[in-house]
Amino acid sequence: MAANPNSRLVAGYRSSQGRPDEMVLPNGELRGSWRYLAEALDSLGPEILRQRHQQASRLLRERGVTYNVYDDPQGLERSWELDPIPVVISSQEWAEVENSLQRRAELFNLILKDIYGPQDLLRRGLLPPELVHGHPGFLRPCHPYPSEFEHPLVLHAVDLARGSDGEFRVIGDRTQSPSGTGYALENRVVMSRVMPSLFRESHVHRLALFFQNLRASLAELAPNRERDEPRIVLLTPGPLNETYFEHSFLASYLGYTLVEGGDLTVRNGRVWLRSMRRLEPVDVILRRLDDDYCDALELRPDSLLGVPGLTEAVRRGNVAVVNPLGAGVLETPALNAFLPAISRHFNGKELQLEAMRSWWCGDRQSREHVLDNLDSMVIKHIHRAPGSNPTFAAELEAADRAALIDRIRARPTHYVGQEKGTFSSVPTLAGDRLEPRPAVLRAFLVGRQGGYAVMPGGLTRITGSPDGLSVSNQLGGLSKDTWILATEPTRQVSLLAAESTRHTAGETWSTLPPAAAENLFWMARYAERAEHGIRLCRTILRSFRASDNGGDGLDRAHMEILSRALTHVTATYPGFTRQPAPGEHISPLAELQSMLYNRQRTGSVAFNLQALLNAAYAVRDRLSMDTWRIINVIRAHQNRPQSGGTSSSADLNSDLNELITLLAALRGLENDSTVHSLAWSFLEIGRCLERGLLSSVFLRNTAVQSQEPALESMVLESALNHLESLNAFRRHHQGTPQVDAVIRLVLLNELNPRALNYQLGQLRLRLAELPQDNVQEQLSTEQRLVLEAHTALQLADTTALVSADAGTGVRTRLDQLLSRTTRLLSQTSQRLSQSYFTDPQGPRQLAAADSENGT
Amino acid sequence: MKYRITHRTDYAYPELISLGYSETRMSPRNRHGQQLVLQHRLEIDPRPDYLTEREDYFGNRVQHFAIQRPHKRLVVSAITELDMLGAEDQLPLDSGMSWEQAVQSLAEDWSQGGLDARQYLLESPMVTPRPELVDYTRSSFPAGRPLQDCVRELMERIHRDFTYDPTATTLATPLSTVFRERRGVCQDFAHLGIACLRSMGLAARYVSGYLETLPPPGKEKLVGSDASHAWFAVYHPIIGWLDYDPTNNLIPMSQHMTTAWGRDYADVTPIKGVIFGGGGKHEAKVSVDVQRLD
Repeated sequence: MAANPNSRLVAGYRSSQGRPDEMVLPNGELRGSWRYLAEALDSLGPEILRQRHQQASRLLRERGVTYNVYDDPQGLERSWELDPIPVVISSQEWAEVENSLQRRAELFNLILKDIYGPQDLLRRGLLPPELVHGHPGFLRPCHPYPSEFEHPLVLHAVDLARGSDGEFRVIGDRTQSPSGTGYALENRVVMSRVMPSLFRESHVHRLALFFQNLRASLAELAPNRERDEPRIVLLTPGPLNETYFEHSFLASYLGYTLVEGGDLTVRNGRVWLRSMRRLEPVDVILRRLDDDYCDALELRPDSLLGVPGLTEAVRRGNVAVVNPLGAGVLETPALNAFLPAISRHFNGKELQLEAMRSWWCGDRQSREHVLDNLDSMVIKHIHRAPGSNPTFAAELEAADRAALIDRIRARPTHYVGQEKGTFSSVPTLAGDRLEPRPAVLRAFLVGRQGGYAVMPGGLTRITGSPDGLSVSNQLGGLSKDTWILATEPTRQVSLLAAESTRHTAGETWSTLPPAAAENLFWMARYAERAEHGIRLCRTILRSFRASDNGGDGLDRAHMEILSRALTHVTATYPGFTRQPAPGEHISPLAELQSMLYNRQRTGSVAFNLQALLNAAYAVRDRLSMDTWRIINVIRAHQNRPQSGGTSSSADLNSDLNELITLLAALRGLENDSTVHSLAWSFLEIGRCLERGLLSSVFLRNTAVQSQEPALESMVLESALNHLESLNAFRRHHQGTPQVDAVIRLVLLNELNPRALNYQLGQLRLRLAELPQDNVQEQLSTEQRLVLEAHTALQLADTTALVSADAGTGVRTRLDQLLSRTTRLLSQTSQRLSQSYFTDPQGPRQLAAADSENGT
Repeated sequence: MKYRITHRTDYAYPELISLGYSETRMSPRNRHGQQLVLQHRLEIDPRPDYLTEREDYFGNRVQHFAIQRPHKRLVVSAITELDMLGAEDQLPLDSGMSWEQAVQSLAEDWSQGGLDARQYLLESPMVTPRPELVDYTRSSFPAGRPLQDCVRELMERIHRDFTYDPTATTLATPLSTVFRERRGVCQDFAHLGIACLRSMGLAARYVSGYLETLPPPGKEKLVGSDASHAWFAVYHPIIGWLDYDPTNNLIPMSQHMTTAWGRDYADVTPIKGVIFGGGGKHEAKVSVDVQRLD
């Protein structure tokens, strides 16, 4: 690396007043662990750093690393933000932190076992009942925990920050389903790619071992010890959850099936994964669902997200849930006020890693202290829930401040005051210089037989501004990779055996949960709908330009037929089927624009693309990286600001060509880089079914009504064009298209991948591959429906199909054939949905049987 | 006196239920020296595919069952034979302990019983503290007055101030509405009593059960016919739990049969469940029959 004399990035860095800094010591010297990095930053210079930052952002975008912000006007998925300058921690210092974290996790584990066990801490007055019996996170139906588990607290995340004395302090704990491990790993992957040599030469501890420990730990928890390969699933609330990206990322990284509540069912006190009309036993559930949402029967009646009966299955020892249900009670910030005494009780030792000083307002003296020193406090609720964000009392307006005091006085046991700390800052790229930003490090631990393993690194988050108060992705934050330097390149991080002696069952080829099957099916259908819409719009645009340039009556009639067909195919009524009021002129261009860009309009291209994106997002873990890249380009296209109705037909045309290329690429990748498993089958089934439906509707609206020869040949040519069969037609036929030849090519031909016959043949093949209930050689209902449609088509006589009624000019037989096909395919879709997809009704509560109004 | 209680709940669904899970708390508890369960059985139709029984956190008997085949009707009957023990209608002794002493004593009670009682000091899902209830309660709790006198007066006042009206409230009606409208049913009055007692720093719990409604000779028939019933109990540091029925202004004795107790109704719901399928709305028909056995 050549030194860049012009760059004074590091020398120009000024840490904030009154804050310790991670890179620069109070005396202005660099911390030893940062020297190599600082040198490298200087030699790279701001321009290259900025490029690397952009590169990182692009990679994160391409890899689809997002998080969701509720009610965000920017749309659901927001790109994950990564600052290109890592946080560096020396091996020596980390060894201490690691040790203290392990002790903290052990302590929390003991507290959890006590709360869901003998409750000695309550009896001895070491924990007040308000924080256990009175805490919404204490779930009575989950008491007691089975005693044989050494570490019921499998996952523990601790938010740390360096205080003004230079020591790390705990800000908070996450004990339900801690998020962040997947983002930490993504940050690492991206950093090692945009700063390859810097990363290599810095000798940074790898993160992979942590995940191996996690896998091994979960495998050890499987209750059915005699079964060699436990099945582990990752339970997500679904694509709307803020960290859904991470759920799907971890599922594919760890090799677990990603499931929603509806994909699981409890039968005979065991948990089963629904897949292809069969039930497969589940041994361990890694959950990303809050405790109480997991079971509508025993925990939270209004939950639609969980698995009714799960608590009972856990109680009977038939499934392990990680973290166990009820572990959320440990998340209360009030616990910190009691930890020193609890530590002495359990270990006879003082706490090593101190938390920010905390006062629980349920205690009279503590309450007075909090109220007397309100401005130096962060007020937290004992129960973390949506809308209960920490409050910085000093920031409040007088009225809000008074209201806060009233709330604390009215229900003191609900509140905790935590000292407002001064956290260390880390250098962050801001334009062409470095700026100090307060940072919080989330560290992760996983419990196994023998102890806790700490992730060597973690997720560092920084505030959005130099004087920001809190870090939160919901409020728009920024993240950093965290580098723990190894003293020697191959230092063993943990003494725990990394590899489990037990293997976990990977997903078998025949496993596909209902939600995934449904989303794959619809992803393909929406892609096909979007493509048909675009093709038809493009064909209409062409004829519009032809008729614009001195077109005659023939052109106008042609255009009218196609326009109406568009409205019918996309079911965007009234659209082009609307009768204009007397004297009104309907602008085709305006209608086409609405058809293309109006996302609110059901059936429009933009609507279908959005639905395609949503469905793809929900099966992200099953798509290849390249497929995901195409999806991201489509998303970028979809989010591009629209030209506001002024675009010319030429602009529209190039836009359409771009989209068609993207959709073709998506289809190509589906065939090329998706393993031909059940997932592929459902994509194919969706695609063939939709294509069959749309071409049937299209032909009903273009070929059923015979026209005078000149117009008919124009319409048929457009139809061939729309069905991508024009070149094939010209290769075999001279002159203008005749209806019988066209019908043969787009309906009956077996080799034309756009012909109806081809779709139905493919559908039959794919349906025959699906696992069936009945071992008898019987066809399923959906197979029968498609067979009926296919047979009717194959038996059809072309001459009869094309002969038009002398009076009306209607080709009745063709119309009947197409309408029958449409009906049978729609029924097939319904049957598939009943057999393989999620029950749309979902769980409901039994009505109240209330007779206590009697007396 | 021995009794047979039949508590039947009948659900009819407009369409087939493919899968249903339920929990029942309809098996009466034994109460030392007061109530002995001679026989108990739970009849479930259709027969469940999965059925287990356990004790919940409060010591109530709970059955968990699942019906995994399509069904359009579910009938659950709990049939219990009970012996109501003890001297007929003998009031518990008055310890004379003042209510302040009771509050103080509980706060310092680290025994198993005391610890158990202290969870009933705290707010619970259906009983949240209201400032207006403190004001309402205070007049029955003057300084130094014996706890039992205070609670007895509170019960009498609830009975006097509130009108029994089955049309006024549902399960979802909040306590604040009950208090404002001064109307409700036994469940509301039990919750109200509990809220009042907790607001004074006393441990109070919800008791579900049944009431024999045969009129004793020469006395008026009690309100309502056979039904499940609810009342409240307060923790007395010396005597233990003492029951009070504000709906009938009675101290429950041998005519009040206890099924279960908890912090409020949500902890002791006789039957609850989650179903898949079933079409539109469905309702439960409930009948309760309390019979004397000779």
